[in-house]
Order: sequence, then C-alpha cells, then structure tokens
Amino acid sequence: MLTGRRWFGTMGALLALTLLLAACGAAAPATAPAAAPAGEAAPAASGEPIKVGAIFDLTGATADVGTPYSQGQIAYIDWKNANGGIAGRPLELISQDYGYDVAKAEELYTQFIGESVVVFSGWGTGDTEALRPKVTQDKIPFISASYSAALANPAETPYNFLTAPSYSDQLIVGMKWALEDWKAKGNTDAPTFAYLINDSPFGRSPLEDGTAFAAANGVATPLEVPSPRGATDLTPQLTQIKDSGTNYVFIQNVSSPAALALKNAKSLGLDVQFVCLNWCANELLVKLAGPDANGVVGTIPFSPAGPGAEVALAYAKEKGIDFGGADSTFVQGWTAMSILLAGVEKTAADGKELTGENIKASLETLNNFDTGGVTQPITFTSTDHAGSKALRVFQITDGKWAPITDFMTAK
Amino acid sequence: MQSGTFHSSYSSDMGLRPYWPMRLRIILVIVIMLVFPWFAGRYWLNLANTIGIAAISAIGLNILVGYTGQISIGQGGFMAVGAYTSGLLAANAGLPMWVSVPIACVVTAVVGALFGMPSVRLKGLYLAIATLAAQEIIIWVLTHGKILGIGESLSLPPETSNLFGLSLAGSTDFNFYWLIMGCLVLTVIFVSNLFRSRAGRAMVAIRDQDIAAQVIGVDLFRYKLLAFATSSFFAGLAGALTAHYRGIISWERFTIETSILVLAMIIIGGLGSVSGAIYGATFMTLLPALLSNVSRAASGVFPSFSSYLPYIQQGAFGLAIVLFLIFEPEGIVKMWRNVKDYFRLWPFSY
Repeated sequence: MLTGRRWFGTMGALLALTLLLAACGAAAPATAPAAAPAGEAAPAASGEPIKVGAIFDLTGATADVGTPYSQGQIAYIDWKNANGGIAGRPLELISQDYGYDVAKAEELYTQFIGESVVVFSGWGTGDTEALRPKVTQDKIPFISASYSAALANPAETPYNFLTAPSYSDQLIVGMKWALEDWKAKGNTDAPTFAYLINDSPFGRSPLEDGTAFAAANGVATPLEVPSPRGATDLTPQLTQIKDSGTNYVFIQNVSSPAALALKNAKSLGLDVQFVCLNWCANELLVKLAGPDANGVVGTIPFSPAGPGAEVALAYAKEKGIDFGGADSTFVQGWTAMSILLAGVEKTAADGKELTGENIKASLETLNNFDTGGVTQPITFTSTDHAGSKALRVFQITDGKWAPITDFMTAK
Repeated sequence: MQSGTFHSSYSSDMGLRPYWPMRLRIILVIVIMLVFPWFAGRYWLNLANTIGIAAISAIGLNILVGYTGQISIGQGGFMAVGAYTSGLLAANAGLPMWVSVPIACVVTAVVGALFGMPSVRLKGLYLAIATLAAQEIIIWVLTHGKILGIGESLSLPPETSNLFGLSLAGSTDFNFYWLIMGCLVLTVIFVSNLFRSRAGRAMVAIRDQDIAAQVIGVDLFRYKLLAFATSSFFAGLAGALTAHYRGIISWERFTIETSILVLAMIIIGGLGSVSGAIYGATFMTLLPALLSNVSRAASGVFPSFSSYLPYIQQGAFGLAIVLFLIFEPEGIVKMWRNVKDYFRLWPFSY
C-alpha cells in the first residue's frame, strides 16, 4: 500500500506532526507554571521581577517606526534595571512582534496576561481598540502608541492612558498653524485642506474632529485620500490632490509612505505645504525623503531634545543600540514606557500591592510628571486620561527638525 | 485481518462512520473537547476559540471551493457582513445574541448569493477575481459606511452577548468555548450530511464536470447560488461569533488577508473534506503561535540573535506551508489517511 516515496512522505509528515505535538506539549508546561502564581496576587518577595507586557510591530505595516519605538522601550527597561529597578525589584519585559495583526495582538495579550504582567504597552490603533474590552475587564493599565481621542475618556476606557496629545488634537494644532501661516502669507480667503492617510483606523482616527474644526473656521470639507498599504507609487493619489487645488496636505501615516508621497509630489510638481502628524514627523522621514523633505511641517509630541532625551540617547550610544537615526521615535518609546512605569513606581513607593487597580489609581494622581523636556509635564486625573495636551510645531530646514512655534493646544 | 471495505447493507454503505475505529476516534475527540476547557488556561482557550471560529469559516468555504469547485477569495468580506450585521443589530437595536446571530447568518447568505451571481458566466480564475471584487466592495462600504452608521470600529454592548440568560461576556473565553464548539459541531453535522443529499451531490457533480452535470439535469445556476449562499451562511456565523466573542469589531479583521488565510486553511487541510478544513484551521492557527513561542524561548538562549527572530518566524511559517504542500499536496487529511492505511496493515504493509 505504501510505496517507497509514499512511505517517505508519510513518515515525514508523521515526524512533522510529532514535532508539532511535542513542541506544543513543551510549550504548555513552559507557560503553565508561570500562570500558576497569577491567580492570587500574593505579596511579592523582594527581588521578584515586576512583569511588563508589550507588543511591537517589527515586521508589519508600521515596522519602520515600530522598530525604533520598541528599542526605546526595551532600552528604558534595561536602563531602569541598571539603576536599581523599582523598589529593589527588577523589571522583566515580556514582548513579541505582532506584525500589525489584530488577531495576533489578542493572542499575545492573552498569553502575557497569563504570565501575570501588571501593565501593558501596546502599539497600533486597530489592536488597541480591539483590546479595549479585555483591558477593562482584566484591569490592566494600558498605554499604546495610538493616540486616538476615543481612548482618553476614562468613563469608557478606564484603563487606557494617552501619553501624548491625541491624533485629533495633533491635527487641529496642525490646522491652527496652517490657518495662521495662510494669513501670514497675505491671503484673505480660506485655504483648502486635504488628508493623505494610512488606509486603516489609525489613518482615519482624527478626521472627524479635524473636519469639524475646519468647518468651524470656514474651511471646506477636506478631501480624504487614503494611501493603500504597501503602495510603491502615490502619484494617482497626489494627482487627485493636485486637481483639487489643495494648499495644505495633512499626512496621518508612518514615515516610509509619507516619504514616498514627498518624493512623488516633487516629481509631479505639486506645490502644497505638507503637515505630518506624529508618526511621520521624525528623522526617518528626512532620511528617506532627503532634500524633498525640506519645508515639511510636523506636529511632534515627543521632542528629541532636552535633558530627558539626552539620557535616553546617551544610554543608546553607550550600549551601541542602532535605531537607524530615528532619534525622536526612540525617545518616544523610552518616554512612553517611563510614564507607564512612573505609575508602577508610585504604587510601590506608597507601599501598595502592584495590582492593576492600584497602579491605575497611582497614575491618576500623577501630577506634572517631568519627562525631562521631551513632552510637557504629564498629568492624569480620574476624569481625564489625556496626559499631555500641548505640543510644538516643527519644520524641516536643511534636513533638521526645528521648532517654529511655542507649545500649542487644540482648545 | 480486513482485506477491504465491504458493505452488506445500504445503511452501512450510507453511514458516515461505519467502523468501530472511526466511532472510537470520534468518541475520543468528543471526550477531549469536553475535558479540555477545564484544564486549559486562558491562552489555550483563546487559541481553541480562534481555531473553532476559523474552522467554521473554513468548512463554509470548503462547501464552495472544495465541493462545488467555485473559487472564492471573498470569505473575509462575507465574514465581515456577518460580524457587522450582528454587531449593528446588537449595538443599535439591542437585540440579544440568539436573535442577531441567526439574522446575520441569513443576511450573509443573501449577500453571498448576490455576489455569487457572476459564477453563472465565470469560471476558475475569472470567478476568483469577481469574488475579490466582492471582498473589496464590502470592505469599501464598511470603511465609508457613515451612511450605515458604522464608525471606524463597532463596540457591542456586553448585555447583548447573553445566551438564554447566561452571560457569556463575563469569563469570556471559557463560556464562549462551549458556544463556539457547539456551533462547530452543528456545522460539521450539517455539512457532512449535506453531501449525502441531492443538493450536495449536485454540487459535487458541478465540480467534477459542469457540462455533464447539466446534461443529467442539474440546474447549474440554482446549485451554484445555493453553494454560495450556504458557504456564506457559515462565513456569516463565523463573523458574528467573532463579533460577540471579541466584543468589538473593526474591518481590519476581515481584509483580503483573512480571505487568503481561510483559502490556505482548506488547501493545506484538504479540499473537499470537512475534517480537512478543521485540520487546516488548527494548523494555520497553531503554527504561528508555536513559532512565536519557540522564538521567545530562543531569544532567551541567543540574545544577540533575537532581533532577527521575528523575520525567521515569518520565514519559517512560509517554509512549513511550502513543505507541507510539496510532501502532500492533497493536504493534511490525506496524510492522516496514509497513516491510517499504513497502520491498518501493519506489520504486513507492502
């Protein structure tokens, strides 16, 4: 019945299945004992690590900025451990790449919660949204690199904390600057706006609030142009913008597609002012777009200057961490983690048990937490989880981001 | 020793599981399914539920692709229809799950039949492109769905996830396990029996040779649409279960990648086989989870190597699939059959 080749195939398959089963079996006990002490939150012995969960995008659609962000978070944990940890206990980061895949994020979150992490650091807008009900149910203080305005209201999302002005606020600040800039150029009519966005919840997150702000200021509804994932040419999208006679284009996307847009715009002869929100306003954009990036304006919530950033960058230099020149994104990851752990540290300093509820309560009393000039001081309250509301507008001159305004808020 | 398969009665010829090893195995599987959730942690329950939902969707797609021979890469889109129908009914009308989920299945079946209409004139790759259009149209409607009152994501009120007074939203993973596995079992029973009926045999006839099928009196249009509707019904079920299980839905979960993943599940598991779809769903869910656990373990052993691990993980996933297809293009179900054949005659196999 089984010929030689068949036999080989069958045995190969059997071997593969056995390996799979064996590995599953091996993986099970590896996680089981770790899960065991999760049930009761017994007072931890000194020296027992404090577990921090995180998911990073190292291979997915936003990996270009996801990688330096993750390096910043890992580096902060290492740095903190080298400086005595929290209340004498070391920190242990449990993290994995999730490839910007919502289902994978859920799987990893569930796994890490089973390993009793006390706080969690997420990444994208889609997965942060998807994890929202679970985070609330599990009472896990959660920060992410998504600054969707929907996450700042503790009545709906009691365990989500925003470490930067929301995307909506960023867009409105960008629009405020654009309106002033338009007037300063001697125009009396209203400018025309357009959105060039990532085709995802991340891209669309601030549009509704932005359009409302535009309408209130007499600007026509901005044209919404999604750029497809993995596009290698954005000329059709930019042609659409060109035909609409737009003056200001707001980009809500990560660096690589934004840089592509700048290059395509140059060859198309498109004469507009680009305004990048957080995730494309960084050094990576300058590196990728080169001279075409000059003049681009960005709303940067985490400034790579100031004493806080110097500590982070000096540590990276000392340890030889190569984050590809994306200083501000590295500092962003570092600072976001420092804000989350400030809550843990405060809880430990107050002599309370490190439970999600206690850490949340501590974070909500965080008042003017100093990030060393990277952001405005962070304040959370029990009714407002938007930690910082102001940012400065930067512009690229000669390949360098330089601030052109003082701290501005959306209000 | 048994030297062949001989039936001495019509009922045994028609039986789904005529031999004692088959019955023993199915009892074993049922016992494992009943016992598993009491011992498994949340992580494994989450994986089991993911597999269960994927298996329902894969079995649905197998009706269309494996049994009727109509290629579809729109399954993700149909799942989205089910998820959003159920979600909107729950969020806006406050309908409980046991009402909204069946409605979602029916709506998805209708939408599926609608998008199946090109199948009358199109075959093979051309039909695949037409279903691709279905996928893209559905996602476009959802992302631009302000008309339908759909935001970027839709969150379901937890009280709608009650089943006859029993709240499933509490300890989600454990409670949903029973619901999902119940739906899966019903799906398996229905689909296994479908292909013993006139409709099912007509579908298989269309797959094997559509002109011949027409000649013997099979109404091609009717049965192709029926296949699309039935297939979409289960896609809708999978989508609606996802919506209630996760409590929040966004279209990102139902992109073209999902469609291709479900198609890959049935190709790897075995086309035209109910158990193949389940094996495929299990394999495609467990393999990445396994690889990520291996890579976590490895990053502890080789810290200097750890920055490459995510890429190796992705490569290994692709490689495993390619190797499976090279060694057994007919899928895991064929491998399992080979193993059974080998041991049936052991130690006298030739």
